[in-house]
Parts: sequence; structure tokens; C-alpha cells
Amino acid sequence: MKAKVGVYVCECGPNIASKVDLDRILETLPALDEYREIELVVKKYGLLCSADGKNYLEEEIKSNGFTHLVLGACSPRDHNKTFIGVCKKTDLNPYLYKIINIREHCAWIIPDKEKATEKAISYLRGGINRVLYQSSLFEKQLDIDPDVVVIGGGIAGIETALSLAGEKRNIYLIEKSGKIGGKSSRFSSLLPRQGKGLALIEEKIEKVSANPFIKVFLESSLESIIGFLGNFEIVVKSKNGNTDIKAGAIVVASGYGLIDPLSSESHSYSESDDVYTSLEIEEMLKEHGKIMTKSGKEPASVALVHCVGREEKGYCSRICCNYMIKIARYLKDQSDAIKVTEFHKGLCMPDKGDQSFHKAMAERGVEFRRIQKITQDGTKISFTGMDGSPGNADFDMVILAPAIVPSEDTDSLAELLEIPVSETGFFQEMHQTTDPVATSIDGIFVVGAAHSPKGITDSIFFAQAAAGRILTHLIPGEKIVPEVKVTEVLEAFCTGCQNCLDVCVYGAISYDESKGVSVVNEVVCRGCGNCFGSCPSGALRTKHFTNPQLYQEVREAIR
Amino acid sequence: MTEDYITMNRSDNVLIIGAGLAGMKAGLLLAHAGKKVYLVESLPLIGGKVIKNEESFPNLECSTCMVAPVQQDVLQNPNIETLTHSAVEKIEGEAGNFRAVIKKSARYVSMTDCIGCGMCFDPCPVSLKNAWEEDLGERKAIYVPCAGALPNVPVIDPDQCLQLNGQQECSACADSCMFGAIKLDDKDETIEVDIGAVIISTGAETFDASKLPELGYGKYPGVYTPFEFERLFASNGPTLGELTIRDSEKTPGKIAIIHCVGRQQVGYCSSVCCMYSLKFAHFIKSKLPDAEIFNIHSDICLPDKNYQKFFNKVKESDTTLIYSPSPEESKVSQNGSGLKVVYTGADGKEQHVEADMVILSGAVIPHPEGSSVATIAGLNLDSYGFFEAGKDDIGSVHTSREGVFVAGSAEGPKDIQSSVIQAESAAGQVMICLGEVNR
Ligand SMILES: Cc1cc2nc3c(=O)[nH]c(=O)nc-3n(C[C@H](O)[C@H](O)[C@H](O)COP(=O)(O)OP(=O)(O)OC[C@H]3O[C@@H](n4cnc5c(N)ncnc54)[C@H](O)[C@@H]3O)c2cc1C
Ligand SMILES: Cc1cc2nc3c(=O)[nH]c(=O)nc-3n(C[C@H](O)[C@H](O)[C@H](O)COP(=O)(O)OP(=O)(O)OC[C@H]3O[C@@H](n4cnc5c(N)ncnc54)[C@H](O)[C@@H]3O)c2cc1C
Ligand code: SF4
Ligand code: SF4
Ligand code: SF4
Ligand code: SF4
Repeated sequence: MKAKVGVYVCECGPNIASKVDLDRILETLPALDEYREIELVVKKYGLLCSADGKNYLEEEIKSNGFTHLVLGACSPRDHNKTFIGVCKKTDLNPYLYKIINIREHCAWIIPDKEKATEKAISYLRGGINRVLYQSSLFEKQLDIDPDVVVIGGGIAGIETALSLAGEKRNIYLIEKSGKIGGKSSRFSSLLPRQGKGLALIEEKIEKVSANPFIKVFLESSLESIIGFLGNFEIVVKSKNGNTDIKAGAIVVASGYGLIDPLSSESHSYSESDDVYTSLEIEEMLKEHGKIMTKSGKEPASVALVHCVGREEKGYCSRICCNYMIKIARYLKDQSDAIKVTEFHKGLCMPDKGDQSFHKAMAERGVEFRRIQKITQDGTKISFTGMDGSPGNADFDMVILAPAIVPSEDTDSLAELLEIPVSETGFFQEMHQTTDPVATSIDGIFVVGAAHSPKGITDSIFFAQAAAGRILTHLIPGEKIVPEVKVTEVLEAFCTGCQNCLDVCVYGAISYDESKGVSVVNEVVCRGCGNCFGSCPSGALRTKHFTNPQLYQEVREAIR
Repeated sequence: MTEDYITMNRSDNVLIIGAGLAGMKAGLLLAHAGKKVYLVESLPLIGGKVIKNEESFPNLECSTCMVAPVQQDVLQNPNIETLTHSAVEKIEGEAGNFRAVIKKSARYVSMTDCIGCGMCFDPCPVSLKNAWEEDLGERKAIYVPCAGALPNVPVIDPDQCLQLNGQQECSACADSCMFGAIKLDDKDETIEVDIGAVIISTGAETFDASKLPELGYGKYPGVYTPFEFERLFASNGPTLGELTIRDSEKTPGKIAIIHCVGRQQVGYCSSVCCMYSLKFAHFIKSKLPDAEIFNIHSDICLPDKNYQKFFNKVKESDTTLIYSPSPEESKVSQNGSGLKVVYTGADGKEQHVEADMVILSGAVIPHPEGSSVATIAGLNLDSYGFFEAGKDDIGSVHTSREGVFVAGSAEGPKDIQSSVIQAESAAGQVMICLGEVNR
């Protein structure tokens, strides 16, 4: 069939018409030699994006029976979607249409009308040539499984499960230890503004056991995973065997650990010293109801040392300032006579209620000392004040706030899930600011302290954010439409070098050992084209951005 | 409440008030799930505060590049009805069954006919200060707040337009518009919509530095608020990004950035000021490599895994950090042709630095319209004036009224990351609130 290409140039009021000689375009293009083989219809119109313009274009496509369409108009950012919409109302596949920007690229930047017109003609020629090499692409619809696997049963995992579980969505909560609740359930109590004791946590734990749509796997771990958004297949390993699960999404909530204070050069102590980590104090108080020295006495003086290991890790752990003030309060509540000194390097109190808590504790006599440097040897502390003056003191007890570090399984989970880890060691989010809960794999989310050091409030927000993503994207009974402009492997050309596997951040490429070629999973691929550039043998082809398409457009435009 | 709608079916539509990053992100998620979203924004453009910044911490990414695709997605989404230059006047009813009254102020320019060419600005005889540019630049009576504003459709300021305020007959803009897009007879319009749930994402403002007169804001041209500085630095801003002191051509040689301004007054740490103050130091150094910069700070709050790295870099190469237990109590005074900042040093004694430019890193405070929104929506504010969320719960976007949620800096000061997280969280809670269908 002979190609019949419609070319419509938009006047955009005076915007294009006054700066580009559209009539000359109308004369020039059809007369060109290279279009002898095809049928070319070139017309102009006032404002294609207007309601009238869209109707006009729709009628033109239908009545002329175009095989391809090229528009000379504005930036695709403005109206590409508009005109794709018009194509969709006709039999013309939208991938056989192309918009050429003769406004921003020609009319608005070239004062000389003749030159602007020439450039517009070149661009349009490129466009016409390109569409001839474009192919129809068709959207696919995929069934999804609405169920969700949550890895880690701390507060973040619990909240994710509670937000998602329902009649049409089962949640599989995989917990490594023998019970859910995570670190928070080991504390004596939460921050005062977070309610009494651990009530809020305990309530949530109860809700999980009462929820028929949440299945908890204790003393279990992720064994293997394959698949993609909407269709993951997971094997869970438990004491009494493996379970196969199908799920549409995975939420990682594997939490955090604490750095070993002795790994920091500034800290040294032995077993017999009255030196404890913050978590040990929480556990001591929970278990014995009192904070006591090893000799069973109430300490008369306690030093709370912030930022242990912070310099080594290279980040502030965000929550320690807060919970250290909580520990100061434990001590003051136990006895107002205990002298409490907090050594800090500038308080980080990023939540609204923090400062008033700090103020209240300062008023109760807790001494907050801002220092530049600190070394601790057993219960002896030497420090440098902000004005450079040295100081030292001995205490009955020292409590350390060790830096929050990723949970020990982070690397192995990252490897299993094929998601990256950031330079801080925590899981890497899709985008630091605008997409913090997602990972590079569609359908895998990271929440809670597994993402970065955070308190319970923020852990819950992250959990609900992952739930928000899943509730709006994996709707039971509905299908998903993956990207169609994806990359394919031309097996005959693939030498099996596997270069492309490294560059695909979405994990869309795998290697087929038996055939010795790479395979792109079309549902996972986002068509970014990274791999396309990395293939030394030209075996990859990104649909709608193929070499011939690009070459033909450029060749014709610069002719 | 009127009887007629109480018996009506539950509505699946969602009203979002405030089209900053939080409102837009929540809207996009809900629209994706097939909900009809009414996104109401009081300004003529969407994007919120982030589009005022040239670059955002911690990765110094171009803010426009980050936000523009989100804005485009919102404007082109068939499920989102974006109502700019509009205000919610009433919200009645209950969760699942609210009715909202929205006033769309006359824009005087047709959203469908205007193509955003900007030909109408020059002919307008009225020039005045552009509030969106923090009064650092000028605009006409017909204007878009900044280059690149989305939607890219101007608005006429009826108080300033000679025709509309009745001072004299004028149709210069309408005459210059080749698209007949300008409608000087446009009228305010009020619409009523049925909605099932509401998200409040009205954002926040910064501390009014003139409340601390010793800091010299308003008195000395060289003293800036944070958003004034963001606009001064922005390449689409009033000076096209040239760092010159207000009302002069002078390039500052010494710049003092004072942290924690207003912190004691508001009673909380705003969690973003240290980071944006460090960002400013880096901005200045990148344009004026010879400049001497001082960050006068007390605590340094770096509450994210990626923030200290940025701090270390700025500390290393861009600024001199000066510790003061109370930077907000500093005093700014004239010193020859420049300024002098007197502060309390680490030893408790008075110290000073000379500076040509002083930036006051003000606390993040509730949006001034917050309390009227609270009244209209029947919500409680917390003791600081932000929307109260999760009274007896931790980590909650639920306000004091069922079916109404809050997200972003409307709930308290936060960085972009936390605002986006709350937006996604609110979208999820709306899905749950609107029915069990999805779970
Ligand atoms: C001393 C101290 C006091 C604190 N006090 C407070 C406070 O008062 N208020 C507050 O808001 N925050 C407080 N925090 C912070 C709080 O502990 C965290 O915000 C919270 O625990 C984060 O929850 P999470 O679910 O992300 O992680 P976690 O609590 O660490 O839970 C992670 C869970 O995942 C499981 N897991 C790990 N790896 C795997 C795996 N491979 N497979 C399956 N499961 C796995 C773990 O067993 C654990 O159950 C405090 C922190 C400390 C150190
Ligand atoms: C000086 C400064 C610099 C910053 N720089 C950074 C940075 O570099 N990186 C970073 O991560 N964070 C930064 N932040 C924080 C960042 O600005 C906020 O996290 C972000 O703006 C919050 O988004 P939001 O949508 O909640 O609110 P906003 O961006 O404030 O948006 C709220 C929107 O609601 C509209 N609105 C208000 N009231 C009403 C009403 N009654 N009806 C209808 N609409 C209404 C407003 O006009 C606005 O468009 C900075 C903050 C400041 C103060
Ligand atoms: S939260 Fe406080 S104690 Fe923890 S690292 Fe940050 S500044 Fe140090
Ligand atoms: S185009 Fe991008 S997403 Fe697709 S396989 Fe190649 S690298 Fe991966
Ligand atoms: S109103 Fe008219 S002249 Fe003004 S920007 Fe819109 S189209 Fe251009
Ligand atoms: S009608 Fe009003 S807005 Fe238009 S040019 Fe005249 S004064 Fe300006």
C-alpha cells in the first residue's frame, strides 16, 4: 500500500504564522523529489489544539485515510497528548504520528523569517521521513494479583499490613524473629506525646492477629522472588517448610540496627563498666522497672552521649536526640535527684513537638551541653566545649546513642530483590525527594527505618505511603497497562556479553544461559534506552526510538 | 445542612485544597485510581513553594525540572479538574457525602483560548510590584506570576486593571491578543461539587522577620527573607539570577546567613532551615566564588540520611560556620556602606561580622489562610496553628473531622520528601475512607 502522509502546520495564531512562511511550506514539501513514492497532503490550520482544530484534524484523518501523520506545531510538552488523543479517535495508530516543534524551535527563536521557514522545512522533512519508519504499537493489558508481601514485622510492616488488608487483598507478613512488633516493642515506653507506655504499638499488634486477611509467617524469611509489578512469585522459607505466594507488590520493612559503639575511636569501655546503649536501657527499664548500675544501685549521675558513631557513618540518625530526652525523663521520673547531663553536638529536633519536650526537660534540671568533641573511656568523659575549652567529668553511668544503621539483612535482601542500596547502606529510594517510598523495581517499596533512620511516626507515614501507592495502582479486578515503547533483543545479534544487564536500573534484563542471549522483560522495561546505548553489537532495539527511525529523521533534517 | 443531599449516594470524588507538591502528588494517585479530583489552588498557578526555588536540597536538583512534569501530568489528567485562582467557601456534610462550594475568581482570560504567548503584557499601561516575586520584580495588571508558570495563562488583577477598577477605559491587552482570549467582562463563578473526601494541602509560609526589628528587615535593603533570596537567585526571577543587592547594582562581597530566625517565638525547630541556609551558602559561592559567607547557627538539624554529606561539602568549601547559642537575637546595623551583624559567640560574649547582605533564615509558620480554611472545613488547629492530625494516634493524616485529611507542610514544617510521603499516605487513607471496594 502506498503511504499517505498527512502534514498539518499550525498557525498558532500569529505565533507561528507571523514568523514562519507557512504557504512556502505548503508549496515546498509536496514538490520535493523524495516524496514521489508517497502521497503527501500538506495543509495549514489556525489553531489545531482548539476544539474546532481537533475536530478538523479528526475528520481529515478519517476522510483522507492517512497511513501517517505529521504535525508542525508547538512543543510536544504542550500538546503531544492532545493529538495522541485525536489519533485514538481514528483508525490511525498514535505511534504513526509525530509532532514537530516549529514554534519554540523555529518561530520563537529565529528573527529572520526566511531562515525560520527553512529550519521548519528541514525539521518537517525529518519528521516525515521518521514517521515512515515508525511502526504501530499496541497497549497490552495485564491481570494483576492484588495481594501484598510485607518483609519485616516491625511497626512499619505492621502499619503497611493494616492499611492494606481487606476482603479483596490478602497480606503475607514475613517476620524473621519469633514475634512481631520490631524494636519498638522492646522499649519501656514511647515518647510522651505518643501516648502511654507502648499502648499504641500493642493495639496495632493485636489488630494484626485479629485480622483474617493478614497471614503472619514467624521465624521466616524470603527465599526467592521472580516476576514484576502485579505478578510476583515468592517463596517464603519457614521452619516447617517453604510456602509459595503470588503477590502484586512487595513492601520491604526490615528495619534497622545500632552501630557497635566500640567501633568508634572515641569510645571505649568494658563489660564491667556502667556503660549502656540506649536500647539496653530501654530493655533494662522494661524488664526491671528501674535503671540501675551493675552493683544494683541507682546512679547519682548519668551522662547521655549523643551522636556515637555519627562521624564514621556520615549522617545524623535523626531520632536519637529525641529518644535521649525521653531517657533523661525516665531518669528524672525515677528520681529527681539523679543528675543528668546530655552531651550533644547540636540537637536535631525536626518534629513540631520536640522542642517543647526538650524545654520541659531542661526545666526539670537536665543539663544540655553542646560540645564539639567527646571521648569516653568507661564512665569517664572528656570533651571540648564550643568555645574550645576542654573539660572532663566522671559519672556513675553512661548511656550512648549509637548511630542507626541498616538492619543486618539489608544487603542480602537487596540482592534477592535486585534493588539498590545507597552509599549510607540503607535501601535506595527511586528519588530522594519526589519518590521516596518506591524503588527502582516497580511494585517494590521500602518503608520505615529500612529506608533511613526514622521514628515511629515517620515509619507509619512511609508505610501508609506505600499503601497509598498500592491502593491506587493495584486495584482488585482491574488490569494494568505496561509501557509499550520498550526494548527488545534481536537474538541473532546478541553475543551474550551481558553489558546491558549492568546498565538497566530497573532490572528488566536477564540472561538466558541456555540460549546465550539477554532477555528483556517487556513488562518491567520502561524504555529508558540505557541498554540500547550500551550494546556493542546493536542487538537491542528500543521501540519507537530505533536506529533507523532516528537516523532517517536526522539525515533528512540536515540534508 | 440541607435535607436534599443527605439521602444522596456516597460520592467517590475528592476535593484537594492547595496545589503544591503535596496536593498534586495526592491528586495524581487518586486520579490514577479513577477518582474524580477537584484540585483547588488560590494562586493563578500550581506548584506551590518548590517552584520558587532554583534548586532543591540535598541533591541540588533543578526544581522546575522536578516539578514541571508533575504539573503537566496534573493539568493533562482527564480525572483532575484543576481550579486555579479559586477558593473553597463551604464544606458541608459528612465523610463520603460532602458538598463543597468553590468560588472561581474571574481570570479575565480564557483558559481554553489563550495559548500563553505573552503578547498582552507589554501593551498594558499598569506596572506594579510582583508579590509572587516577593516584590523584587514588576508585573503588569495582566500577568503570569513568573516565566514558566503553569498553567501558562495570564490573569488580570481587577484591582489594578484600569478598565476593571473603573479608572479609565482600556482594552490594550484585549486588542493585542490575536486569539480573542481576553474577556474583560468575565465574572466570578461559584460551583458546587459533591465529594466523598477532602485533603488539605495548603502548605506553609515563613516567619515575618519584621517581628524581630533588631534584625533590620525592611529597614536595610541588604536584609533578605529566605524566599526573597530564592527568587533573587532564580534564573527565571526578577534579576535573572544575578545576585545584586536590592535597589542597587551592587554585588555583595560578604554575606551573613542567620539561622533559626523566629524559632524561639514559634516554639519549634522547622527542620528545613539549616538545610536551605546551607543551600544558600552553596548557591552564593557558585555564583560569587570570591564571596565570604558566614552561617550563624545554633543547633544544626540534618534529619535525613543524605543531609550530612551536603553539610560536610558546604562546610568544607562554601561557608564559615559560626556557632551562636541564640542567632535569632543577633542585631543588624548600618556599617558604612554595608551592614554589621552582632551576635553572641560560643563564649557568651558579643562578636560581630561585617556583611553586605544578610539572609534571615526564618521559621516555617502556618499558612496565613490556614485558620479560615480550618473554619470552613470545620477542623481543629494544633497549638502552633498547623492543622491538627491524629490526635490520639501517631503517624496519622486524619484531621479532627472524619473524611478530611491533611498532607505536606500544612501539617507542620517539612522537606519535600516528607511532604510527598504524607501526600501518598493521605491518598491511601482517602481510598480506604471512600469504601472497602478496594481492599
Ligand atoms: C533506644 C531507642 C528508642 C526509641 N524510642 C522511640 C520513641 O520513643 N518513639 C519513636 O517514635 N521512635 C523511637 N525509636 C525509633 C523506633 O525504634 C523506630 O522508628 C521503629 O522501630 C522503626 O520501625 P521499623 O518497623 O521500620 O523497624 P524495626 O522496629 O527495626 O522492625 C523491623 C522488623 O523486621 C524484621 N526483619 C529484619 N530483617 C528481616 C528479614 N530479612 N526478613 C524478615 N524480617 C526481618 C525484624 O526482626 C523486625 O521485627 C527509638 C529507637 C531507639 C534505638
Ligand atoms: C526557603 C525555603 C527553601 C526550601 N528549600 C527546600 C529544598 O531545597 N528541598 C526540600 O526538600 N525542601 C525545601 N523546602 C521545604 C519545601 O518548600 C516544602 O517541603 C514544600 O513546599 C511543601 O509542599 P506543600 O505542597 O506541602 O506546600 P506548598 O509548597 O506551600 O504548597 C501549598 C499550596 O497551597 C496553596 N494554598 C494555600 N492556601 C490555600 C487555600 N486556602 N486555598 C487554596 N490553595 C491554597 C498555596 O498557594 C500553594 O500553592 C524549603 C522551604 C523553605 C521555606
Ligand atoms: S539525632 Fe541527635 S544524637 Fe542522633 S545523630 Fe542526630 S544530632 Fe546526633
Ligand atoms: S530500555 Fe531501560 S528499562 Fe528497558 S531494558 Fe533497557 S535499560 Fe532496562
Ligand atoms: S491572553 Fe492572548 S495575548 Fe495574552 S498570553 Fe494568552 S493568547 Fe497570548
Ligand atoms: S485592560 Fe487592564 S489589564 Fe488590559 S491592558 Fe488595560 S489596564 Fe492592562
